[in-house]
Amino acid sequence: MKLIFNYNQANTKYTAQEKDVDLPDELKRESLPLCNVNEVQIIRHYTELSRKNYGIDTNFYPLGSCTMKYNPRVNEDIAKLPGFANIHPHTPASHAQGALEVIWELEEILKEITGMDAFSLQPAAGSQSELLGVMIAKKYFAEKNEPRTKIIIPDSAHGTNPATAAMCKFQTVTIPTDKRGNMDIDEFKKAIGKDVAVVMITNPNTLGLYEENLSEIKNIAKENGALMYCDGANMNALLGISKPADQGFDMMHLNLHKTFSTPHGGGGPGGGSLGVKSFLEDYLPVPRIKKENGKFIFDSKNEKTIGKLHSFYGNFGIIVRALAYIKSWGINIEKISKIAVLNANYLLCLLKEDFDVPYDRRCAHEFVISAKKFGEKSTINIAKRIIDYGFHAPTIYFPLIVKEALMIEPTETESKETLDEYAKVLKTIIKELKEEPELVKNAPYTTPGRLDEVKAARQLNLRWIPKES
Amino acid sequence: MNFIPHTKEHISKMLSVVGCSTLDELVSEFKPRLSELNLDEPLSEMDLVSYMTSISEKNSPMKYFAGGGSYDHYIPAVINHLVSRGEFLTSYTPYQPEASQGVLQVLYEFQSFICLLTGMDVSNASLYDGASALAEAALLSSAHTKRKGIFVDDGLNPNYLKVLQTYCDGTELSITNSIDENTACVISQTPDFFGNIKNPQGLIEKAHQNKALFINCISDATSLAIIKTPGEFGADIVVGEGQSFGIPKSFGGPYLGYIAVKEFLTKKLPGRIVGMTTDEKGNEGFVLTLQAREQFIRRERATSNITTNQTLLALTATIYLALLGKSGLQNVARASYHRAHILQEKLKKNSFELINTNPFYNEFLVKSPKPTEKIIADLMECNILGGIDLGDNKLLISCTEKNSLQDIDSYISMVST
Repeated sequence: MKLIFNYNQANTKYTAQEKDVDLPDELKRESLPLCNVNEVQIIRHYTELSRKNYGIDTNFYPLGSCTMKYNPRVNEDIAKLPGFANIHPHTPASHAQGALEVIWELEEILKEITGMDAFSLQPAAGSQSELLGVMIAKKYFAEKNEPRTKIIIPDSAHGTNPATAAMCKFQTVTIPTDKRGNMDIDEFKKAIGKDVAVVMITNPNTLGLYEENLSEIKNIAKENGALMYCDGANMNALLGISKPADQGFDMMHLNLHKTFSTPHGGGGPGGGSLGVKSFLEDYLPVPRIKKENGKFIFDSKNEKTIGKLHSFYGNFGIIVRALAYIKSWGINIEKISKIAVLNANYLLCLLKEDFDVPYDRRCAHEFVISAKKFGEKSTINIAKRIIDYGFHAPTIYFPLIVKEALMIEPTETESKETLDEYAKVLKTIIKELKEEPELVKNAPYTTPGRLDEVKAARQLNLRWIPKES
Repeated sequence: MNFIPHTKEHISKMLSVVGCSTLDELVSEFKPRLSELNLDEPLSEMDLVSYMTSISEKNSPMKYFAGGGSYDHYIPAVINHLVSRGEFLTSYTPYQPEASQGVLQVLYEFQSFICLLTGMDVSNASLYDGASALAEAALLSSAHTKRKGIFVDDGLNPNYLKVLQTYCDGTELSITNSIDENTACVISQTPDFFGNIKNPQGLIEKAHQNKALFINCISDATSLAIIKTPGEFGADIVVGEGQSFGIPKSFGGPYLGYIAVKEFLTKKLPGRIVGMTTDEKGNEGFVLTLQAREQFIRRERATSNITTNQTLLALTATIYLALLGKSGLQNVARASYHRAHILQEKLKKNSFELINTNPFYNEFLVKSPKPTEKIIADLMECNILGGIDLGDNKLLISCTEKNSLQDIDSYISMVST
């Protein structure tokens, strides 16, 4: 394996030769040990690397909780239009009306889809949206002189929920999951009190199940003056069908890159967003984008705002793609969710007999099954073997409450044929596990072998170091 | 548009396997919305392109003499071609390293580039943007020193200061006026918001005397090609915005935050880190490592809540740096520096007051002899964004290699009286 630093060629020139600068020695850089590679080789190097990578374009990629749906290419082209890609963020609003319109328009549409009263698109990703939500809750209660110190989070939640609460110095209270996969309502009742600031619920939850006790949870939370926060990471189940504000949520975030199909790019960039009910609108970060007399303007006047989260206005390029995606679906948006739910339930039915199903209910847009009956570590072995059959593995060992968990989210863009094939592959692997367990334990064979993660963490090698130093 | 491959027959077959007669029955458990859904009719691809193009045309791309955290550098053509490859574009966080060696190696190369440029020991695989990278560095400092005071030197990008203040309010840290035994970190930007290249030596010593960490924030990342590295000066943490490395301005995002630290802070870093290791046969390969820091394992004890990062932009920056190499990046930095100095000199001759006293990189502050609103409006008539109006007739002006000498002459001809 060759690193980009291992070549010794003449670089291609992209701009003109320039004379040296006249800086005092104490401020001037002496050596710049960058690599020397020609464009031809760079194309080959990174094309070769791309071929060592699975993506939605090459392989079915049913990572649970990540919503790996097809990314329409037209949205890429649209984000690259000069009027979007080449606009400097310090352009006065008068000459960036289209950019402001895009942000404003997407906020309006997200309000319509979720039932929330106002949106901010400044958060750069889901976890920054949560951070914004928790910061708002903190400020809201501080202004009410209510010293609330706790945030209630079910044990099935994404790790970001407790991590965010802890960042803002809240104590997290973890509620166990009941036998039907809901947040345990009796334990919730014991935990709730006037010291709870926020009840954070993911709906459908990370087990792929719709929370059945939402209205009771909401009533109890409201009686105690707590805010209801919806982690909308799984909104791909509910588009056009439910509006989370109707269930009593005061705040919710949407991951634009999941639900609205912007490419995940190997781990980002994503796009966040936070929707709030009107009584929290004044806390949203500035600048807000408003429409006055047919013109779009920046508004930073708000005194109650929690401040600012992003260097500029959010991940604008992702906002453009999300808007284009929603416009392409328009009023038919509920079809996305219905087919996502159909695909998940169909694949679950195909696999039900072969795996343990921890909560025997109809699932939402994803589902969790367990390989515990095949013994410890069978999930990781299955995941690695799946790669040999040309598919990406599901999310594994999450949620933490299910032993040997496989979390599968097919999304609406996968065909029946692909789902049938995936089920067939899983059944084959189970057969292999019984008949030839070593074959599965040593997989994969079609890619590099299993990589030693313990060694990686113990003998840290985190960068290339030039030989002369 | 329709990206659902099912025929009607598929749907009814699948429904029967699931045991439902209709799609509505399938989702009947979900609480239905209580109000109408007011969305437009769906658009075909052709209509969508025409609709979005018409909105994009309400924006006016210009010649930019504005920076302030976003810089108009030349982007080599090949970058877009490589970054658009579906294997990169449509993959996700490399949870299964065997199926993600491409992205993992790219991130290892990115981390290496950031260390080479900054003179630091360890870089992570990216953060959201420059502002949040700075805020994460402040949180890291507080976690390391168990202190809550954040000292900020003059000249920090005001947007970064606002984001830092927001993070401090939310996480119970405070921005203070003195460096003392409560100081977790001293933050200084160089080149700063006004382009000043500062020698951080004195502040670094003062921070270290008080057992606080020194965070060096950087404005235009191309400056690293010609300015002595923060690592050599003795910074503990370096953060900044990597947008200059081949990333479109795109009205402010998505951009590329980077953070690099000295070795003793490695395990406090937020976000993803890629490490090299071997497989069972001894072949080299890459994995996400030190994951015990992260939220999906550590939950409330994680070093940060960050999950998604900016991988595709780290790929962009990696390819940019590989393409330019040493002399290419030096040429970009030198051209940006020279053009800014030429423009500043010409403005001086036209009665603009120069405010920078330090050496500056590609950005500088002037006080205008006439109202800046008028100057900006006049320049906009010629399709030039002349700078950032900071009020009080002060204008922050920036140049890159894209601002030709002719552009500079047209700028001057518009503002000369």
